[in-house]
Amino acid sequence: MDDDTPAPRRKPYDLPLPTPPDALRRGPLREGTFTSALHEPRTAVVIGRWLGAALLTCFLTGLLSHLLQQPPGWLRDHLPSRPVNGYQVTQGLHVISGIAAIPLLGAKLWTVYPRLFEWPPARSVLHALERLSIAILVGAMVLEVFTGLLNTLQWYPWPFPFRQTHFWLAWLAVGGLLLHIAAKAPLIARHWRRVRPGLAQRRAFLTAVTASVGVVTLTTAGQSVPWLRALDLFAPRRPDVGPQGLPVNRTAVQAGTSTASAENWQLTVQGPHPIRLTLADLAQLPQTTAELPIACVEGWSASAHWTGVRVRDLLDLAGAPADAHVQITSLEKDGPYRVTDMPAGYARDPLTLLALRVNGQVLDPDHGYPARIIAPNRPGVLQTKWVTRIEVL
Amino acid sequence: MPMRTARTLLVLVGLALTGCGLYGIATDPYIDLTHHPLDIARWAIGGLVLHDGLWLPLACLAGVTIARTTPVRTGLIVAAAVSAVALPAVLRAGHHNGNPTILPLPYLRNWLLVLAAIAVITAAWSVVSHLRRGRRRRP
Ligand code: HEM
Repeated sequence: MDDDTPAPRRKPYDLPLPTPPDALRRGPLREGTFTSALHEPRTAVVIGRWLGAALLTCFLTGLLSHLLQQPPGWLRDHLPSRPVNGYQVTQGLHVISGIAAIPLLGAKLWTVYPRLFEWPPARSVLHALERLSIAILVGAMVLEVFTGLLNTLQWYPWPFPFRQTHFWLAWLAVGGLLLHIAAKAPLIARHWRRVRPGLAQRRAFLTAVTASVGVVTLTTAGQSVPWLRALDLFAPRRPDVGPQGLPVNRTAVQAGTSTASAENWQLTVQGPHPIRLTLADLAQLPQTTAELPIACVEGWSASAHWTGVRVRDLLDLAGAPADAHVQITSLEKDGPYRVTDMPAGYARDPLTLLALRVNGQVLDPDHGYPARIIAPNRPGVLQTKWVTRIEVL
Repeated sequence: MPMRTARTLLVLVGLALTGCGLYGIATDPYIDLTHHPLDIARWAIGGLVLHDGLWLPLACLAGVTIARTTPVRTGLIVAAAVSAVALPAVLRAGHHNGNPTILPLPYLRNWLLVLAAIAVITAAWSVVSHLRRGRRRRP
C-alpha cells in the first residue's frame, strides 16, 4: 500500500496491542496477495471525494425531505411553499445521488480491499477503534444504498421498518464518514493533488467508474428529469405511465376507497362557520388551474395541470382566520397518511388546490376522485387523495 | 495547528452524529427494541460479509484472469454497475401489489440490451486498440 509513509506515530494516550504470531498470517493476510497497482491512496482519495459528495448530497436532501414530511413544531410554520418544484428537485437529486453512490461505493471498497487484511489487525487501541468505525461506516453505507434502492421498487424484504432505519443509518454513515476523514486526514492531504505524470492504469479505472456512474444515472434519472425520459430503462417508474398519464403510489383499491361515489360524497370544512359541500357545490365555486408536480419520496415526479377550488377560498367560506393550520382527512380506511397536517403557509398559497380535475379530465379514482389536495413544494404523501374533511385547528 | 484542529472537530462532530444515529435507533417509536436493532445489525453484517467475502474476491479474481486489458476491464466494471442497479427491478418485475404503475417497463429485456451494447462496445474497442498496437509495433 502506501509504502513511502512512515508508520503513524502512536499518541501518548494510546495503548499498543501485541502483534499476533506470524503463523496466523495466512491466506489474504499474507503480503503480496493483491497485485493491482490501484490499491493505493491516490485512487482512494479521488473516488472517496466523489463518494463523499454523493453521500453528503443524499444526507442533506434526505434530511430536508424528512423535515418537510414530519416538521417539528418550531419549523412547521416556516416551511416555504416555494419554489413550486423545490421538493421535486431535491428528492429527485436524493435518489439520483443515491444511485450514483452504488458504483462509487463498489469502486471505493475494491480500491481499499487489501486494507481489510492489514497486518497486524490492530496496532493499538485507537487503531482498533478506527477499524470499528470503518466497519460501522461500510455496514451502514451498504445497507443504506440497498434499502434505498429497493424502497424505490416498494420492495421490503427485511424485518425492520424501512423509513426509520434508512433515516438513522444515514446519521451513522455520515458520522462514520467524518471519523474516517479525520483518521485518514494526513494521507488524504498528501494525495489530494494530482502528481504528474499520472498513472495510466488509474486514469483508465477512473474513466470506467465515471462511465459506470454515467450509465446508471442516465438509465434511471428519467423518472424525475423529464428530458431524460427516453433513456429511462431501469427506473421503477415512468412519469407518463398510469391512469390519465400519471403514476400513483397507492391505488383506490389499495386504499379501500374505490367505492366512494359522487352521490353520497360530501366535503366537510370544519371551522368557525362549518360548511358541507357536494361535488356540484364545489364545481359552482371559482375554479383555478395550476401546473404542479406530484413528487414522491421515492424519487419519481410528474407534472400535471390540476383544476379545482383554492383551499384558501374554502377556508374563507368556513370563516377560518388567516393563520389557520388545517388538518385534512381522507376516505382511506387506514395508512399513516390518512390524516395529514397542512401549515398555514401552504393552506394560504394561491396554488394550493382541492383539485377536482387533472389535465382537463375528472380525477381518476386512483388520483383521488372525488377531490384531492395538490400543493406546491410538498412531498407526495402529503398530497392527500379522496379528501372528505378539512378541519381548521 | 489547523490540521490538528480540523481533525479534532471532525472527530467530535463524527462522534456526535454517530451518537445521534444510535440514539435514534434506540428511541424511535417505530423501532421495536426487542428485535429490530438486532435485525438491522444482522442485515448490515450480512451485507458486509456478502460484499467483502463473496463479491470482492470474485471481482479481484476477474481482475487477474479475464479482465486483463483496459477495454475488457472497463466493460466489466460498467456491466457490474448496471447490474447492481438494474437487478432488483429485473427480479421484481411483475410484483406491484396491485399498482401497475410500479415497475411498468420490460426490465429483463432492457438489462440484456444494455449488457449486449456494453459487450459490442468492448469488443470494438478491443479490436481497435489491438490494431493500433500492431501498427505501432510495425515501424
Ligand atoms: C462513504 C464514504 C466512504 C467509505 C464507505 C469509505 C471506505 C473506506 C474504507 C473501508 C477504507 C479502508 C480503511 C482502512 O484503511 O482500514 C478506506 C480508506 C481510505 N479512504 Fe475512504 N471511504 C469513504 C470516503 C472517503 C473520502 C471522502 C475520502 C477522501 C477524500 C477517503 C479517503 C480514503 C483514503 C485516503 C483511504 C486510505 C487508502 C489507503 O491506505 O490506501 N475515503 N475508505
